Amino acid sequence: MLEPLIKIAVLLGGLMTAAAYFVLLERWIAAWVQDRLGPNRVGVPLTRIRLFGLGQPMADGGKFILKEEFMPAHVDKRLFLLAPISILAAALAVFAVIPFGSVLPASVYTLFGQDAATVASTEGPVPLVVAPGVDVGLLYVFALSSIAVYGVIVGGWASNNKYSFLGGLRSSAQLISYELPLGLAILSVVLASGSMNLDEIVHRQADSGVWFIFTQPLGFVVFVIAAFAEAARLPFDLPECEQELIGGYHTEYTGMKLLLFLVAEFLHMITAAFLIVLLFLGGWHIWGLAGPDEQVTWVGAVGRLIVLHLKVTGVIVFFMVVRWSWPRFRFDQLMALAWKVMLPLGMINLVAVAIFEELSLALQSQLGGWTLAISLLGSWLVCLGAWFGVAYATPMIGDNRVRKDIHTYEVDPQI
Amino acid sequence: MQATDPDIQWVEPPKLGLGERMYLPLFLQGLTTTTKHLVSAKVTVSYPDQEPEIDNPLIYRGVHRLNRDEQGRVKCVACFLCATACPAHCIDILGVESPWEDREKYPESFTIDELRCIFCGMCEQACPVDAIELTSLYNLTGRSREEMIFDKEKLLSVYDATKDKEPMKSAQLPPVTTPSTATPSTATSTSPTEGGA
Amino acid sequence: MAIVLIDGQEIEIGDDERLNGIQVAARAGVEVPHYCWHPGLSVVASCRMCLVETGKRDADSGEISMLPKLVPGCQTPARDGTVFVTDSEKVRQARAMVEEDLLIRHPVDCPICDKAGECHLQDYHFEHGRPERRADIKPFHSRRRELGETVTLFVDRCVMCTRCVRFTREVSGDAELMVVHRGAHEEIDVFPGFPLENKLSGNVVDLCPVGALGDLDFLYSQRVWFMKQHASVCAGCSTGCSIQVEENQDRIHRLKPRENPHVNQWWMCDEGRYGWKYVHDNARCLAPQQKTEGAWQPLDWSDAPAVLHAALSGENCSPENSPPKNSNPKKRRLAAVLSPFLTVEEAYLLATYIRQYDENAVLALGRIPQAGADESFPNGFTIRAEKCPNRRGVEMLLSALTGDVLSWESFLEQAAETPFDAVWITGGYPPVNGNDGAGEDVASEEEKSLATELPAGLASSTLIVQDLFDSALWRQADIQLPSAAFVERSGSFVNAGNRLQSFEWAIRPPAGVMTEGQLYWRLLDRDGLYNARRVLEDVAREHIAFAAASGEIPATGRDLLLNQLV
Repeated sequence: MLEPLIKIAVLLGGLMTAAAYFVLLERWIAAWVQDRLGPNRVGVPLTRIRLFGLGQPMADGGKFILKEEFMPAHVDKRLFLLAPISILAAALAVFAVIPFGSVLPASVYTLFGQDAATVASTEGPVPLVVAPGVDVGLLYVFALSSIAVYGVIVGGWASNNKYSFLGGLRSSAQLISYELPLGLAILSVVLASGSMNLDEIVHRQADSGVWFIFTQPLGFVVFVIAAFAEAARLPFDLPECEQELIGGYHTEYTGMKLLLFLVAEFLHMITAAFLIVLLFLGGWHIWGLAGPDEQVTWVGAVGRLIVLHLKVTGVIVFFMVVRWSWPRFRFDQLMALAWKVMLPLGMINLVAVAIFEELSLALQSQLGGWTLAISLLGSWLVCLGAWFGVAYATPMIGDNRVRKDIHTYEVDPQI
Repeated sequence: MQATDPDIQWVEPPKLGLGERMYLPLFLQGLTTTTKHLVSAKVTVSYPDQEPEIDNPLIYRGVHRLNRDEQGRVKCVACFLCATACPAHCIDILGVESPWEDREKYPESFTIDELRCIFCGMCEQACPVDAIELTSLYNLTGRSREEMIFDKEKLLSVYDATKDKEPMKSAQLPPVTTPSTATPSTATSTSPTEGGA
Repeated sequence: MAIVLIDGQEIEIGDDERLNGIQVAARAGVEVPHYCWHPGLSVVASCRMCLVETGKRDADSGEISMLPKLVPGCQTPARDGTVFVTDSEKVRQARAMVEEDLLIRHPVDCPICDKAGECHLQDYHFEHGRPERRADIKPFHSRRRELGETVTLFVDRCVMCTRCVRFTREVSGDAELMVVHRGAHEEIDVFPGFPLENKLSGNVVDLCPVGALGDLDFLYSQRVWFMKQHASVCAGCSTGCSIQVEENQDRIHRLKPRENPHVNQWWMCDEGRYGWKYVHDNARCLAPQQKTEGAWQPLDWSDAPAVLHAALSGENCSPENSPPKNSNPKKRRLAAVLSPFLTVEEAYLLATYIRQYDENAVLALGRIPQAGADESFPNGFTIRAEKCPNRRGVEMLLSALTGDVLSWESFLEQAAETPFDAVWITGGYPPVNGNDGAGEDVASEEEKSLATELPAGLASSTLIVQDLFDSALWRQADIQLPSAAFVERSGSFVNAGNRLQSFEWAIRPPAGVMTEGQLYWRLLDRDGLYNARRVLEDVAREHIAFAAASGEIPATGRDLLLNQLV
């Protein structure tokens, strides 16, 4: 009974702190990319100790908490309140099934005064996931992350402001569109691993030693791009693009409610990073750290924990660097990318994975170790071929000129 | 403007080659640039703790000063060319007949509204007698609007405060109004000057 | 019909026209640079800037024979078959040479020279001069000496065109200026003890093509490129010189004459030139007020129509307004005094407004300020003794409206006999004890007395006074309305020669003042802003005396007696 509570506490505390410090990291990276120093002042309060600005998240949080809880007169009050709560709740609930490490050895039970041997014999090692053994874990993640769109569109609607509303609309269109390629990429992983349990998927990669990024490169690309869009990160941050929509759906929000939105955004990014790592980058696995959970030692467990979080942090840094490398898409380009590029690529990947899985089952007995090599080669060829095909076939620059041949009406020049 | 306006000139975007349409090369190129900057030396400084280094005070555009001639009088002849050149209309001059024998006109009052000023340096370029110059003083602050309106005395005091560190930019040129008294041009000949000769 | 060739272009000139090369070239759109020649002065051909090639085309054969040497265009008459070439290499070289010569000993102190920006030396040098200076003379400080009360001379800036010398000899006739010394040492000067002091002295500054002559009044007050020019008409006397008001941000800096062959040619007198100072006088009345139970209350312009209506009609008098002095509001006797400083349009609007209340309202001509006697100069330029711009215009309007012109004095007599219920008196007079610029006190005894005493016969009427400055009338008024100065008005003046000249406002009135035109326009409930042009059209349509004023009025004005049997 105590165990899940401890895990929840660790997870919640860790996630909130992580989100706060990722804000600092984001600001640092933004500054460094622009040849600036970045936030480096706030350290220990009332002293001159600066700690490279590590106190900045506390200061930011304190500021948000102390800000006036302003609610504009023209908003729908209930929905206005509901939106940030629902989006944060959904973002946090996702982490119930995400393994934030591998397992801890059963000897951890001795900390609670229990006999490790007896508990371990019935329960096994302690899995580092709040809800272990959820067989529809991936489906659960997928479902909950879609709820985020409610928070966004409700927030935009309740704000009763055209910028907010436009932001909400864009967001819903974008999230719905990119769920398709995202789902297709996940489907091929599920196909290859035979399970929707995230732990199982990682184990599948760890046992074979071949991460899914190697066997499904095209799926990886599709998934990463779709994850960027789902997390509304640049170059896909159309819902809140500052130059056009001020703040997008959270234009009217201040104080704590704004903080909830911002934290939820960062949580989406963390979720996306976790999923990328778990599904394609082998999770906690690194060569030499494999082995069944039952035999894990303390050193191995901590090692796995560190490997997993290093990978996740690396992916997040990649997210942040990409933000300053690419300009934002135009909305029609965004949609064209989803429907004309990502969706076909996802389908090709799914079909290819299905064929290779079936073939390797059939050929396993005849070719032995060569099967893996052939399927690796084949999948990379498929990836390159599809990539070339898309590059060749799809016009990446949308022509947004007025079609004079079909637009015959004249707009009153006085307007 | 309507999109159908005949005055609009539509520019065809350049055709992309296959390499560019592949996205990946360009993506990596952009990422490389960003990453290079991520680790490169920073250009900003921690200001109050660390003063920025001004590489070339001659081209730095900070607070204005009004130069003095050899006799310590204001060099300005109240020609209004700076006020004419000023795009922010922040210079206000009252020109009257000068009380000196060898000068015809001088500014009775010379006021710059430093709050309005955009520090473009056009006044300095326009000045025919090199009387107004922009110094490298960058930390200009004040507690009231009135304080930020610099009058002649204040502008001259800026000169007094900065003349040792920053010699007059025209120090190597002979003065315009009095050809008989040669300037000690050797005194400041080490400082580079913008080519005026 | 004579045909002249300018750079290959055939120009027709009238047989009785006597034009020189510069004038004919101007007709062809070709500018021949010149310093010493001025259309109003004699020809000396001393500056050599207008050197052109000339020749003759044989009438029969059409053959052109050119003179080998360059000749000054100002001195070469244009006859049938005369050929001028102004853009040949030879001419260009000659101009560059003249420019270089003039600049050898020029101080080049343009930054402090008041002429910079409108200087012919600058303009011509930019256009015709050499790009670099071969003489090794550095810019230096020009010598300066005062020529008189109004004009100062910067000796070294002079290019010795002698326009100023000729002006004092031929136009003003006093011949104070002369050329002293010889050759390269030539200078303009006055004889010791005989300074330049005549009533046209300011014109030499305008004449000077360079910055040698400076106006002491204008000296260093403003750089010329900051000022905006507005064509206007001088209100100093009934000559009504065409002038150009130069102002910056609603502050006049100088007046300059505007060429008008029918009125003032190229000149104006110092009285008018420096007579605008009262426009920016701090003593000007700026706030409309009404007297309520003996105390002055500020009057808002937006309330003015109602208050004036009440005062004139005697109706709708709320207790705090001045009560009607006549018990019977039906038969109110009204009068309006139309000042000779009003424009024709304003006088017409006021008369129309008053007659809405009393169709038999007495309309009188305002006081005519007189000072001295008319003063004429050798070339015909006249300074009038009548120191108001529009006496003729108001008189013509009055005789058209009432058939008679009631003078100020007869009006006062009439008022003394049977007091009026309400009298509207317009002013706009420059201040009494005013300085005319030449330092003379031009105020007459009558003006002085008016400043202190109220004319008898007006005391019992409701007085509406509209004026620029404080006076006994102003203080006794029941409603005070500040008036606008001539540069703030739009409209037309009719000068002593019956010439109607229209002008637009040059500066906006000071805060608190509404121009007469705008006020009357509003009182008459007409739409939009006061439009003098439209009012003048009405006047011209309704009154035969103003018939000539219909249509566009040229910049030089229009003679109202044109085509009229007088």
